[in-house]
Amino acid sequence: MNAILTMPEMAVTALALGLLVLDLWTPADRKGDLGIAAIGGLALILAGSFLFGAGAPQYAFGGMYVLDGMALFFKRLMLGVGVVALAAALEYSKRFAAGTAEYCALILLAVSGMMWAASANHWALLFVSVELMTVTFYVLVSFERTRMPSLEAGVKYLILGALASAFLVYGVALVFGGTGTLGFAGDSGPGLGTGSVLVRVGLALVLAGLGFKIGMVPCQFWAPDVYQGAPAPTAALLAAGSKAAGFALLLRVLLEAAPDWALEMRPVLMLIAGASILYGNLCAIPQRNLKRLLGYSSIAHAGYMLLGIVVLERAGAAAILFYLAGYACAVLAAFLVAALAFDPGEPEEIPALAGLHRRSPYLAAALALSMISLAGIPPLVGFFGKFLLLKGVVLAAFDSRSFGWLAGVALAGIVTSFYYYFGVVRAIYWSAPAAERPPIAVSRVAGAALGACLVGIVAAGVFPSPLLEAARLAAGALRIP
Amino acid sequence: MASWTIYLSFIGAALLLAVRPRDMRWVRGLALGTALAGLVLGLAAAARYPADPAAPLIVLARARWIPSLGIEYYLAADGISLTLVVLTGIASVAGVLFSWNVERRAAEYFALYLALIGGVYGVFLSFDWFLLFVFYEVAIVPKYFLIAIWGSTRREYGAMKLALYSLVGSALVLVGMLAAYGVSGGQTFNLIELARGGFSSGFQTWAFPVVFVGFAVLAGIWPLHTWAPTGHVAAPTAASMLLAGVVMKLGAYGALRVGMMLFPQGAMVWRPLFAGLGVIGILYGACVALVQRDFKFVIGYSSVSHMGFVLLGLMTLNATGVGGAVMQMFSHGIIAGLLFAVVGRMVYDRMHTRDLADLEGMALNRVLPFAGLTFAVACAASMGVPGFSGFISELLVVIGAWKAFPPLAVLAGVGIVAGAAYTLRVLQKSFFGDHPRAPVEEMGRGQGLTWPERAGAVLLMAATVVVGLYPSLLLDIIMPSLQASWMQAMLKGGQG
Repeated sequence: MNAILTMPEMAVTALALGLLVLDLWTPADRKGDLGIAAIGGLALILAGSFLFGAGAPQYAFGGMYVLDGMALFFKRLMLGVGVVALAAALEYSKRFAAGTAEYCALILLAVSGMMWAASANHWALLFVSVELMTVTFYVLVSFERTRMPSLEAGVKYLILGALASAFLVYGVALVFGGTGTLGFAGDSGPGLGTGSVLVRVGLALVLAGLGFKIGMVPCQFWAPDVYQGAPAPTAALLAAGSKAAGFALLLRVLLEAAPDWALEMRPVLMLIAGASILYGNLCAIPQRNLKRLLGYSSIAHAGYMLLGIVVLERAGAAAILFYLAGYACAVLAAFLVAALAFDPGEPEEIPALAGLHRRSPYLAAALALSMISLAGIPPLVGFFGKFLLLKGVVLAAFDSRSFGWLAGVALAGIVTSFYYYFGVVRAIYWSAPAAERPPIAVSRVAGAALGACLVGIVAAGVFPSPLLEAARLAAGALRIP
Repeated sequence: MASWTIYLSFIGAALLLAVRPRDMRWVRGLALGTALAGLVLGLAAAARYPADPAAPLIVLARARWIPSLGIEYYLAADGISLTLVVLTGIASVAGVLFSWNVERRAAEYFALYLALIGGVYGVFLSFDWFLLFVFYEVAIVPKYFLIAIWGSTRREYGAMKLALYSLVGSALVLVGMLAAYGVSGGQTFNLIELARGGFSSGFQTWAFPVVFVGFAVLAGIWPLHTWAPTGHVAAPTAASMLLAGVVMKLGAYGALRVGMMLFPQGAMVWRPLFAGLGVIGILYGACVALVQRDFKFVIGYSSVSHMGFVLLGLMTLNATGVGGAVMQMFSHGIIAGLLFAVVGRMVYDRMHTRDLADLEGMALNRVLPFAGLTFAVACAASMGVPGFSGFISELLVVIGAWKAFPPLAVLAGVGIVAGAAYTLRVLQKSFFGDHPRAPVEEMGRGQGLTWPERAGAVLLMAATVVVGLYPSLLLDIIMPSLQASWMQAMLKGGQG
């Protein structure tokens, strides 16, 4: 038993429960302090995670749970995402009638689910961690009970999420039926073979279930509606955290547990990647709502990241890790601004951003930087991430010509995306505002969280080496046969 | 020291954004000071070149940037880079002078302007392909905003069209870059090392057109030139000057420095096509310019025509033609700046029309005599009258083309004549209309040119005259660079 390895997850869960208990004795006007405490606690856990070295993989619970370089990378990413999401929640929850502490506690539980997912080495743990995330998100998405769009988003997420969970659990059952074991084979045995029809169908169902989490075509229909309707901090956590957890599981399943099947399915995966890129980018063009636009663009980004999977190499996995970190910084910054720049109840229309540079130059610059990074313009982090992903695909095209069209589709998508990302920047800086609106006060916590995202966007773009080395080290832990 | 052109530009931009001086004098002073410093640094570096004929490359900065991918921060300069750095310096100083009347959000305007300049210097001085690509992309954002915020006619359309064309070009370059990196063993993006290593002729045959077209989009290669007239017309004056004067050279420079230097055999295979497109650009641009009614569109299409000479010169693959192409890049940068300055700043800001039919009735040569003089000089230089820089550069291109493809050289000669035709037409219509509709004294009231306009015009006119009268100033630094070992394969038609 190596239960000590699960310390970070346990600590996050304990923090969430502690928050709920403390909430009972906290007067209404002091609830904000609980949020601060949650942020501080999560930051401490993040700092503590650096006590674990990325050495040889260590296992707990009879191999169900693995702590290797990749798991550690994802955990740190998710803890960072959690800190920023909590800061956004603290700011955003001022518009809730009640429930600040509950909202923060739910975010912590979702983060804990993501962290378990990062270490899943067993089909049961995979399913349980996904459910922990998903069930928490049902509540988080519909948290604004009095706002119709939030409720609508919650119902959509509930129905489609339940469907995805059904796929997932059915797939796991079929794989178990075909192999007789629930553990990912890993280095203890050969990867899942392609022999049994049962296993193949099971894996396809698992792919559909996880595809829901990352928002890839054809499991993407929920994304725009839910991103638009959910409270901004929830949407931030969905985009930056839930997607990362989905990719962590996808990398484990496709590259470690079932590499033969992944190789066989490569044409399908390529098709999915290309379709996601095109669908996300083309549908984002006419959007007027900032959060909905980010919803569609998140589909496109899932497509870009799938490029790192279809090459079926460590370098591709490293590119995904790098990209996820950069994407998290950019998208968290965007949702933070979305949480701050609009009045309660106001739809997040892009034209309403007009004049933002006068109301708050800081928020305007932050949103502009985030959009430019998402568009992939250097020297920001989004550019280097896309460069790494494309590098893998173009180099793979030398071996197999079929990668050529995928590279073409990806580049076409990137060029297209420039159009709508710059539409947002244009709205901020030079559309004439309909009416003069008061300046926006940005609290210290939210300002600091936003600053952290911006530093990440710029620093990892200008000096990508440290993050790239971390990603390569983490991907090196993948046991690709 | 020349690397400080880049840093100073970005520092100036950051300062303007961070401080946002209220006093316009500080804003303009900071912008002008930064641009002047860049010009001085560029001139100083060019004056010392070549210190040693055996070493045609001056290394400015070299450090490991992303070691695991073999990416270096590698700035260096040869005569071709320095020629274009000096051009950028002159154009940027002139551009600031012609932007003196920008009042609306001036700090942001000059910040974006300086950021664009910084990116341009970066491209000209990068000898690592990845670094060059980064600077190339960095330049896209400011030029988009300069047009879209401060532009005029259909500015959002023009800005987006320019940005999308640039990005499509960049996408092609990126594919070529990654492919070359992979084929060469995935060790380096260093352009000199890649050129020395060489590529198989099969690879060059498909990589060359991808990379060359990718860059040439920005050089206005026909039929991908359509962003140029709309972009130039939509842009504010100083941005038009930079777009036509410098940004189009980014494309031509990239096509030469990367496309032709790395893939000489591919260039040999494809050169009839691209030389033909260059000549089509010359003739097409000239013919379209001949029938435009908008003053600024005439200049916009003339840029397409003049950049056709650059492409033709590059595709001759001999020292005369390529040297002429580099001269033409410099010359056109100066002349286009001058032409756009007259149209956009001196005439349009005062008369509020660019319609040649309206201008014909305004007797501008008497209302704005100095503008008339400037425009006459610019037109003479643009037509290739001896004594101006346009003459020597187009002559070299045509001589080079005569050695390579005589029929195309003849057509290019026809293009020079057509250039004279549209230039004389626009000169006559804009400034020397015979029938003023109102007394000259009335129209000219309070419209004298300001000192920054005069200073900028004098600077640009001086540049074209000095180089026209004494072309060795530039040829002495361009030609030794073409003798470098890594350029020789290209000039021998890929046989080296």
